[in-house]
Amino acid sequence: MDKNESPGRTADPRSGTLQKVKNFLSSSKLAMTLLVVILACCVTGVTVFRDKRAWELIFSTFWFNGILILLVVNVSFCFFGRIWGRKLTMISLGMILFHLSFVAILGGIVYNSFFYFRGLMRLTEGETLPNRELQSYDSSDRGRLFNISTLKGETTLIKMHANYKVDGDNKRAAYEVEVGEGGLKKHGIVYLTESLEHRGFRYFNDREGYSLLVILYDSEGNELYGAHVPLQSLRQKDNTYIYSTGTKDGPGSFPFPQEPAKPLIALQASYVPSPLKERAGDVFFSIWPLDVSGPRQAVKATAEGKAAIGEKVRVGDYYLSAQEVRYWVGMSMRYEPGKPIVLASLWVGFVGIVITFIGRLRRRGM
Amino acid sequence: MKLEYLLFWIAVGLYGVSACSYIFGLISKKEKLFTFGLYSALAGFVPHLSSIGRRWMETGVEPFITISESITFGIFMSVLIFLIVQSASSKVRPMGVLVMPVAFVLMGWAGTLVKDAATQLVPALQSWWIWVHIIGAATGFGSVLAAAGLGLMYLLKDKSPGGAYEKLPDVQSIDNLSYRFVAGGFIMYGLMIVSGAFWANDVKGTYWNWDPVEVWSLISWLTYGIYLHLRITFGWRGRRLAWYSLIALAAMIISYWGVPFAAETFHSGFRIEH
Repeated sequence: MDKNESPGRTADPRSGTLQKVKNFLSSSKLAMTLLVVILACCVTGVTVFRDKRAWELIFSTFWFNGILILLVVNVSFCFFGRIWGRKLTMISLGMILFHLSFVAILGGIVYNSFFYFRGLMRLTEGETLPNRELQSYDSSDRGRLFNISTLKGETTLIKMHANYKVDGDNKRAAYEVEVGEGGLKKHGIVYLTESLEHRGFRYFNDREGYSLLVILYDSEGNELYGAHVPLQSLRQKDNTYIYSTGTKDGPGSFPFPQEPAKPLIALQASYVPSPLKERAGDVFFSIWPLDVSGPRQAVKATAEGKAAIGEKVRVGDYYLSAQEVRYWVGMSMRYEPGKPIVLASLWVGFVGIVITFIGRLRRRGM
Repeated sequence: MKLEYLLFWIAVGLYGVSACSYIFGLISKKEKLFTFGLYSALAGFVPHLSSIGRRWMETGVEPFITISESITFGIFMSVLIFLIVQSASSKVRPMGVLVMPVAFVLMGWAGTLVKDAATQLVPALQSWWIWVHIIGAATGFGSVLAAAGLGLMYLLKDKSPGGAYEKLPDVQSIDNLSYRFVAGGFIMYGLMIVSGAFWANDVKGTYWNWDPVEVWSLISWLTYGIYLHLRITFGWRGRRLAWYSLIALAAMIISYWGVPFAAETFHSGFRIEH
């Protein structure tokens, strides 16, 4: 080392690298590049690839989300590095709020990703399911740090109200539910623009359908078995619906009685609602032997029958009846503690843009 | 023919007259044709407003639900902004060279898609967010259309400063005005996206789903965000930004009214019947 050279001026390779990283992250060219790349990804995601494919290949990927995060980091370095220590004006205040909202949105999303819980719970009218049991949900997803003990109490679907009206507006379907535990239960109505909140969990309207109480009798008319059978709502090409057992892809049969009882037949039930009376109408039953291999619809049913709700009909060696119609509903249950941060930040960002705009309008020459 | 449709088609016809006047004015460089185009636009605006009002009164349902209603309202806001700018300054008449043909073509297209008004809003639309969302979208479009019209004026003036364009404001002023409209459009698109996020959160519990209409909205917003960034940070001015505003306008039109035809989106069940 030159004896005249101050030790403080020694070129530290680490500080040089840090400076390079800082320069890179605070570059406005990087910000512009990232904006253009995100724009290009978005355009690709709605033109070349679409919907689910776009989600799989772009929007849900690590690299795309990495670009979004890099943009926020870049915004932080680039903007706040420049504005630091400057006089606070209307324009700079607006810009600070706008850029700060980006950082807060990212913070909210990251925080949420660790602690969220989302579940789809399906209940038939009168049914109660424990919230803590993951079997209560058709599907569920949660963040790594979500504490399962946060799921407390139970959820009951009291009734599904068809054509529910609020101030004269038809909400079509509203779920009357009760949630919570012990004496702390909360009773409420959930419909498309109204969710129910209880202890940070929100219940949203998702889907609903019919459920038949199907009773199987022997040839003497003695009751053998009964169960609620949820039906699929299947949209036809002419926009009408058929309501049948099966899957979302089409009508189908299922072993009946259901496990753990011993199945005797493969049953398909299709319901035609009455246009005149709620929860009335006809049910068409088709049965197949259990040992038919392959899709049963390809094989002619061994017996068929039709009966009004509450009536019995002979179908092959058995009698069948649909004693009553109930509704089942699917409710989306969400716990997202980071979401309020994100939503509030959206407004902060918006207010920031407005303040900046007004500030620039007031400044001559904009 | 129902009065509502009659008024609608009268408006389309007068916008067509206005568009032709502006185009011939551009070709012949006669200022009188610009003035005639402006008065035709004003004359068309009255039946346009009346047809929207008539439709609304008929059922009491907000008239921005179907795609034709959405286009009609977007053009309504665009022509309104155009007329306000024209009333504020007579020096920017040629702005209509872009605004009125776009208004005419989109209104004509909306006319081919028109259906009888809905008698009741579907549940997802029974929210006051619809007002914020639609006003944000329509005003945003009106603003960026005005910005593109000014961008075209800039290019015309820049190319031949004399003749019919002599009375136009200097290019610097046109550039600044265009920038203000882009900034205004950026704000209104921001309002549209924010209100849409809150609305979706009310209905589905998610504020962003990456559905094609949402992504196109983001594309629109980013497009103008990049415009502002280029101007403020990189010092772009003049011709380059004038061209940018014209090209960006095409993205806006595809974004709002082209996409619902090409994709089955969350919005298709949520907002638009088509």
